[in-house]
Amino acid sequence: MVKTKRLVVLALLVAMASALHVLENQLPIPVPVPGVKLGLANIISLLAILMLGWRDAVYVAIARVFLGSLFGGSLLGPAFVMSMGGALASIFIMVHICNNYQGVFSLAGVSLIGAAVHNITQVSLAAVLVHSLGLLWYVPYLLIFAIPTGLFTGLAADYCFAKAPTKYGFKN
Amino acid sequence: MLTKADKWLVVVLVTLALVGIGLNIYYISEQSSQAQTVVISVDGQITKTFPLRQGYVGEFRIDGHNGFNVVEYKDGRVHMKESDCPDQICVQSGWISTPPQQIVCLPYRVVIKVVSDNPADVDDIVR
Repeated sequence: MVKTKRLVVLALLVAMASALHVLENQLPIPVPVPGVKLGLANIISLLAILMLGWRDAVYVAIARVFLGSLFGGSLLGPAFVMSMGGALASIFIMVHICNNYQGVFSLAGVSLIGAAVHNITQVSLAAVLVHSLGLLWYVPYLLIFAIPTGLFTGLAADYCFAKAPTKYGFKN
Repeated sequence: MLTKADKWLVVVLVTLALVGIGLNIYYISEQSSQAQTVVISVDGQITKTFPLRQGYVGEFRIDGHNGFNVVEYKDGRVHMKESDCPDQICVQSGWISTPPQQIVCLPYRVVIKVVSDNPADVDDIVR
């Protein structure tokens, strides 16, 4: 990919991911478990892995968490630590699965693994932050909701990538 | 669309989550018959403990480094009545009454925990 085009695509992805990150914090989710989120920003992470490769996908994730927290007002607080930890852990796992198990898992499966890892990491970080191991009981409840949301974001990314116009060179 | 591995993944995750929830519910029902105490800690340090019983009613305020939490207890249950934290997850957690339930206010590092008075490793004592 040409250098300028890579820069433009990166900037677009970071902008979209940050916007979704902020939007998602404002969305009320009607479930009895607090802390459940749709993981919309994960769509962009998946697209970044497909379009640009793992290195740029990690850049997009880091920039997204920084900007999203800055807009949301939680920069460098505990919520930021949890967002960053979850985002990094899930992006590395998803990249690993994408590279080494291509064809075994579809994009929805990759996203599902990412969502599960994201939740587990976040709860673990929260347990460390408040010095309370009992918080880990929360993981199964979050996992139950991670399954539909993970599948949803994976399928959304899949459709998005399938409909991306080839003439603008989104597929390399 | 979904590959075979995806479907297995869903099955495995659902099973894990359900087993976890089952264990949690079992653990709660095991401990709910005993007398309970509420332990409140800020930054990992225990700041207040009080028994949770029917008829005990009241509320108090915790002032942290940058905000406040109001804890209310009533009819053997306890909840976070109010807080000025940004996410309000502690307030939305609602009432808790049995171990090992807990309410966490992550921004202010406040944990409200319900614990059993008796150690759980003794099944019963007969005299």
